[in-house]
Amino acid sequence: MLLWSILAGTDPASWVIGIPTVLLATYLSLSLSSPARRRPRLLALLRFLPYFLGQSLRGGLDVALRVLSPQLRIDPGFVDYRTQLTDPAARVLFLDTISLLPGTLGADIRRQWVRVHALDISSDVRPELVELERRIAALFAHEASP
Amino acid sequence: MKTLALIAALALLASMSLGLIQVLRGPSAADRMMGVQLLGTNGIGVLLLLAIALGLPALLDVALIFALLAAVAAAALTRRRLQGPP
Amino acid sequence: MSLALAFSTLTILLGCGFFAAGSIGLLRLPDLFSRLHALTKADNLGLGLVIIGLLPWVDSPWQGLKLVLIWLLVLLAGATGAHLVAKRALRGDGEDLK
Repeated sequence: MLLWSILAGTDPASWVIGIPTVLLATYLSLSLSSPARRRPRLLALLRFLPYFLGQSLRGGLDVALRVLSPQLRIDPGFVDYRTQLTDPAARVLFLDTISLLPGTLGADIRRQWVRVHALDISSDVRPELVELERRIAALFAHEASP
Repeated sequence: MKTLALIAALALLASMSLGLIQVLRGPSAADRMMGVQLLGTNGIGVLLLLAIALGLPALLDVALIFALLAAVAAAALTRRRLQGPP
Repeated sequence: MSLALAFSTLTILLGCGFFAAGSIGLLRLPDLFSRLHALTKADNLGLGLVIIGLLPWVDSPWQGLKLVLIWLLVLLAGATGAHLVAKRALRGDGEDLK
């Protein structure tokens, strides 16, 4: 409902199409997702957001400075990281946000092994990954904190 | 504000032309795909700037569709390779 | 110059700088995975800054929310796209790693 208001504006006429669309979309997404799926907790999400934005800023700055420096300060390579997260949604979120951390890119995931590409393999990226994983585990109530 | 947005849109167009070079240069399909994604994000930036500067809110919807299609494009490229011959 | 205009000038021009860095990185970096870094991080941040700079100038709060929604979608598409392209390169037949 909120989403539709953003999309279509508050013109009452748009609700003629809007209400059936929203109802249908809700029904479809409910029937497609398994009932056991749990949502991230709202409060934890609010705490995650500033961290997320801060990391985006750091990540962007880091990569911009690297490519703009005359001698391309990079030493790329792969790091394999074993995650403690069990929930598929949590793992996907983990993989996607890795790409926003400075110098790391979530490349592949097989079970609990995440293959991370690092722009500069000489600096240790693991502490950053552990920190991110801890914060994502906090988002999902049923995840044991690693 | 209008001047600022138009200057910024021009700068993004210049940045987009670099992305176009990447699409032409390749060499691999994934490199070209990244060029296209770059065109997508830069194009969205241009659309948003123009939408606000020129007072054309419809351009916001165009940008929204671009954003949705960007996700599908990358997925389509991956599927083509992982499932059978191209 | 009003405060809002000064703020927008700063964020929008900074955003354009990140867009430019993303494009330059795409052309300069030597391998596919490194190029993905430049593409996802620099461009997402660039768009985020441009959107923040545009926020004071929207007609209504709904329009502002729509801008933020577009950014979230691009973030999601960028991160997922980077992952998919990297996965394809890793698991594929090596076509991408020439």
